[in-house]
Amino acid sequence: MAQIESSSKTVLPVAAQAAVRPTAARIRRSRGKGVGIYILAVPILVIMVLPYFYLLVQSFAPWDQVDKQFLPGSLSLRSYEWIWTGGGFGLPEPWVQAFFNSVLVSSADSISIVAVGAIVGYALSVLKFRGQSLINNFILFQMFYPAIILLVPTFLIIRYAGLYNTYWAMILPRLVSLWAIFMYTSFFRSVPHEIIEAARIDGASELGIIFRIMIPMSRSITTVIFLFVFMDRWTELLWDLIVVKNPYTETLNVLLTTLFGPYGSYPGPLYAAGVLLTFPILILFIIFSRNFIKGVQIVLR
Amino acid sequence: MMAARANGKRASAGERRKRETQGWLLTSPYLIFMLIFFLIPLLWSIYLVFQRWDLIAPTPTFVGLANFKEAFTSARILQAFLVTYKFLILFVPVVMAASIALALIVHNIPRFKALFAVGFFLPYLASGVVISLVVRGILSYNSPFNGLLRTVFGTSPDWLGNPVLAILVITLMIVWKFAGYYSLIFMAGLQGIPGELYEAAAIDGAGAWTQFWRVTLPMLYPAIYTVLILAVGLTFSIFTEPFVLTNGGPQNATLTWQLEIYYQAFEQFRAGYGATVALLNAAVTLISILIIRRIVEAWGRHYGWD
Repeated sequence: MAQIESSSKTVLPVAAQAAVRPTAARIRRSRGKGVGIYILAVPILVIMVLPYFYLLVQSFAPWDQVDKQFLPGSLSLRSYEWIWTGGGFGLPEPWVQAFFNSVLVSSADSISIVAVGAIVGYALSVLKFRGQSLINNFILFQMFYPAIILLVPTFLIIRYAGLYNTYWAMILPRLVSLWAIFMYTSFFRSVPHEIIEAARIDGASELGIIFRIMIPMSRSITTVIFLFVFMDRWTELLWDLIVVKNPYTETLNVLLTTLFGPYGSYPGPLYAAGVLLTFPILILFIIFSRNFIKGVQIVLR
Repeated sequence: MMAARANGKRASAGERRKRETQGWLLTSPYLIFMLIFFLIPLLWSIYLVFQRWDLIAPTPTFVGLANFKEAFTSARILQAFLVTYKFLILFVPVVMAASIALALIVHNIPRFKALFAVGFFLPYLASGVVISLVVRGILSYNSPFNGLLRTVFGTSPDWLGNPVLAILVITLMIVWKFAGYYSLIFMAGLQGIPGELYEAAAIDGAGAWTQFWRVTLPMLYPAIYTVLILAVGLTFSIFTEPFVLTNGGPQNATLTWQLEIYYQAFEQFRAGYGATVALLNAAVTLISILIIRRIVEAWGRHYGWD
């Protein structure tokens, strides 16, 4: 185990640079086999993006052509109109509402996860206090504890608290991420202590140090943590399905699941909703992808 | 770092007490959360497995080991157990091979490296529900894909109605989603292999194939170990795809542990039995991971890792 950690740790900074730009030597070496690898790589890349392409194209297809033609003969906005007006569902705007619910729940949890992760990670790495290593070990234990066992009792807690069918039911159990705390704890350990001491002498409070110095200094891993937890929360199904059975509060992912069967013969609106569910994440990811690649390399340690 | 330690020692008693309070104060968000959403449910789940409760009666009834007895003789649990191992046998080797291949491509590709790295990772961002939607569309009877099959072969299979094909389809969906993500771990591993090893192997007359098996793979051991544990853990928690796409069917061919837990606890409203199934799932997962770890560690020791 020790070997594994130390070896992958030394490996990564090199990886980070090499992943972004190939060295001149490598380009020279591989020029000969250059074409061969693209014959393999390009079709794989196509397979990787094909479902997204299919989703996008089908969402713009006229309803009689959905799932029948790979490229529809003409474009139609009917699926989007259906979603925008909530067509035939008996509610004013269920899809728009569900999209808003998803944004609310995912943002609340992701912001909290980053803030709590940084605060607790700071306390566990920079400060020294009795009980610290106990907490550190407990976090590790909790990370490897199978969360599935907690599913039924956590549901019961939410029910007893009277939070069934509310936003709180979805938000509260995900306010803290052990993984985020763990990442910040190990990242903040490498921050030079002199910086923190200097800030303290200047009269900065501990919270001030965390939010003005530590988080800005760890921009790439904060980006990665935020994107990963946001995506995770955005695509969560099981928990949201259990605690919310109310069309006004449920997330877009859950709404899509509950209409999966009923809309089986007219999947057009489902594709449009799928675009609404997928492309915000893709866009977010591509905007931050430069920070992301850098950050992932740090995270993978 | 050293200076800081010395400072800490020199700090006055008052200063130290202040640090102490700050430490507990700043970790308190975690501690409160851990109490409500970890310790209490943990104890509650131990209590629940000995109870029968339909969630309507005001209090649960103590039933001793009846939940375990039922679980151990349940055909559905046996099925979930078998289905998970089928997923394991299909998913783990395929996703390992695929993610190593993707990592090798990104590692060796001369140009547009970042484009391929990002492109291969994109599937990880997809919601399982949306991908199920797309797959259902592509595999529906009148789809262009099945139409093509019928023109070429004269027939197209009932993909999601056939027990064997349904499991294959779901496996491929999960491979598609995770291969790019796992390949990031392998990419990091590949960067760490010193070039001299390949030069030495080449001098000894090893071709590209031998170099891959004798140099690359053994040197990737830490990455292989990590990905293997992640992939095995993932197999035991498959839920979204079978829930949305097949609802465990056809003939329970894609009934996973998580589906059974959901079905018992939240459709049949059997809180005690659901908690018991969850406990069994966790036990089976842990034992499987331990066994697989032993096997991989033996392989790693053969190449000098420990």
